[in-house]
Amino acid sequence: MSSALRFEDVSYRYPDAARPSLDGITLEVAEGELVLLLGESGCGKTSLLRAALALVPHFHGGELSGRVVTADLDTREHRPTEIAARAGLVFQDPESQLVMRRAGHEVEFGLENLGCPPIEIETRAAAALAAVGASHLADRENGQLSGGEQQRVAIASVLAMGQRLLLLDEPTSQLDPVAAEELLALVTRINRDRGVTVVVAEHRTSRIFAEADRVVVMEAGRIGFDGTPAEAARHLAGGAAWLLPPVTQAFAAAHREQLPLTVRDARRLGPPQPEPLPQPVGGRAVAMLTGVGHRYGELEALRGATTGFTGAAVTALLGENGAGKSTLARIAAGLVEPSTGRVERDGLCGYVSQNPAHHALRERVDDEVAYALENLGVDPAQRRVRVRDELERFGLDSLAGRHPRDLSSGERQRLAIASVTVMRPSLLLLDEPTRGMDGLRKLALAELVRGLAVDGCAVAVITHDLDFAAEAAALVTTMARGRVLADRAGPALLADGGFFSCQLGMALGCVTLADAVALLRRDREVARV
Amino acid sequence: MSPLPLGVLCAALLVGSVSLSNPFAVAACAAVSAALLVASPPPRGAYIWFAAGSAVLVFLVNPFVGVQGLTPIWSGPQIPLLDTEITQEELVFGFVAGLRLIGSACAVAAFVRLSDGDRVLAAVARVAPRSAMIAALGSRLLPTLEGDAAGLMMAARTRAARLNRRRPAAALAGPLVALSLERSLSLAEAMEARGYGAGPRTRTPVQPIPARQRALLAVAVLLALAVAVAIPLDGYRYYDLLDDPLTAVGLATTAAVLACGAAALVLVRGGRR
Repeated sequence: MSSALRFEDVSYRYPDAARPSLDGITLEVAEGELVLLLGESGCGKTSLLRAALALVPHFHGGELSGRVVTADLDTREHRPTEIAARAGLVFQDPESQLVMRRAGHEVEFGLENLGCPPIEIETRAAAALAAVGASHLADRENGQLSGGEQQRVAIASVLAMGQRLLLLDEPTSQLDPVAAEELLALVTRINRDRGVTVVVAEHRTSRIFAEADRVVVMEAGRIGFDGTPAEAARHLAGGAAWLLPPVTQAFAAAHREQLPLTVRDARRLGPPQPEPLPQPVGGRAVAMLTGVGHRYGELEALRGATTGFTGAAVTALLGENGAGKSTLARIAAGLVEPSTGRVERDGLCGYVSQNPAHHALRERVDDEVAYALENLGVDPAQRRVRVRDELERFGLDSLAGRHPRDLSSGERQRLAIASVTVMRPSLLLLDEPTRGMDGLRKLALAELVRGLAVDGCAVAVITHDLDFAAEAAALVTTMARGRVLADRAGPALLADGGFFSCQLGMALGCVTLADAVALLRRDREVARV
Repeated sequence: MSPLPLGVLCAALLVGSVSLSNPFAVAACAAVSAALLVASPPPRGAYIWFAAGSAVLVFLVNPFVGVQGLTPIWSGPQIPLLDTEITQEELVFGFVAGLRLIGSACAVAAFVRLSDGDRVLAAVARVAPRSAMIAALGSRLLPTLEGDAAGLMMAARTRAARLNRRRPAAALAGPLVALSLERSLSLAEAMEARGYGAGPRTRTPVQPIPARQRALLAVAVLLALAVAVAIPLDGYRYYDLLDDPLTAVGLATTAAVLACGAAALVLVRGGRR
């Protein structure tokens, strides 16, 4: 079988970087393979995908050694614009990769660059949009599409160009569970039915892990492992288990010999009777929204939503893209005035937006954390103490003198949260805090928000990542089309097999990794006895 | 919508608003432009507020800066640089100047909101491809920049910043520039990844104009002709005394603008549906 992509001892260092992002990579991807690329944030996955398309070094500069051959083109001799005819890359953030104003023209853009005849452009663009189920979006403006719709358009734009190699960099990071599932099913279908070679870097592995032909694990710019999904599960079980799907993680942590990769396998191997799940926690609401409505022009984002946020508890706010979650959170935080309804708050409210870059307003990390205290008029001596404490609490004390934009994505996220929690708000709202975050950092974030709740803060987390919601939250509020469906329900909602079920819930009937491991261990003891 | 019929229609209304002198004809141009803007997709609030606010300002200021007119209706105390003798002619002239502003601003806004930006740029690209692409990127990045500005302001407000003070608001300009540079870099990378600059691009052929829009083009041409004929004939004067506006030319021009405008509105509304 010929190779679609070949790395021969490739090392690459970005301009001014202290260490190489790719370090002696040797990898071959055969025609028609589906390869899953795993690794913690900053391990070099994005750099590898950029190198495959010759964006490094041609676009980003830096030093490259070794040889990358993409679809028979040597990237040292061919620029990305030439390789684009044979390989396509879908980036993590769809908003930053859409060039044209309308979705239909977006799909045509790449074909125009290739100099296709006009009649062919029309046919191929229509076919690509149909293939991703986005024909109805052709006349819509890109700016008005949801994250999921934008991602579909971005994939259609690449598919239309008819390349044989499709590279995807965390394509589901902004999608709700159903949209993410549909997208990964689409990627699998493109690979299986059309024979397109796919290399996908993804942190949410529960859906695609078992579907991949090969799993490549990257560690600090090197290839740490390369094998089948079953081999990868066994390899990672002893070390970086957090890269595995949650069910596989649970079985690995319980030291079970057989490691399931899917819900179906886990049900077959797991205990028959799950433990009863905890009841929803009670408590006083620090913010209460009653019959709240809000419109953005002609779009009715909220329609009489009624909910509250309970003190000293983490609430997961779940719902499909465009359900009105962010609007509800902004209203709760007092950043947006509701058109109708009533909001009652008890104490300060803080909101951390989806993009941590929006919280980078100062030149130094410690100044960033001090910003809110300056605005509140806290005296300088007290301010210094509180800033130091907050930096220590979030593990940012060693970065106090750095520029916020020089931090890694995980550090930026922690800084954004610290810059708000330093005010000691009674309600903290986190909007999609796990975007682009690897499994290990998600577990750390879950622990951090639970710690904030233990300190008495009401924490609300808006997320599409159901496994993260299951780990972090004691309460679950669900929304659809601007309305609240379930208000502060218990974690049982994440295990009932419905729209909001996490993988552990569907497989084992429990929601947190710790509970799943305890259940599996008990089951083994019972079997032994 | 196709830029050609809309362009002719809005240009005729713009020229009519600015160049016609009969107050009824100017009012007709302003009314048709405003109705077109209202029929366009949102957001349009900013355009409407800008047009109405500027018009009111012009109406209020004109009597105090104009020194013409022979029919005084109010005399105030002497203030340097200001004419405190208000005449009926100054008020009417100021009112019509406000209408001119509404007509021209709404005509431009209606074109922006109703026309297909990508097709306008494709048309420009036939003449100047590079400039068109830069304009396309600019227009693409503007809403993103707007979103980033809103995000930064929200992040500052959630940290107790009061942005109505001038300095804190100015402090957000630096982060906004940094963010926009990051955005533009990502966009440039995405364009390169999709082959931009690989070689000669496909020249998008001129798309055929649908029947309804051809009808709109015919109406727009009629309106443009009516305005072109009326401008040299319409000799209405505001000073020193107001002329009688009920002239044959004035009434005919008004009727033509309103008739063409009503037909255009029906076609535009139908086209949007």
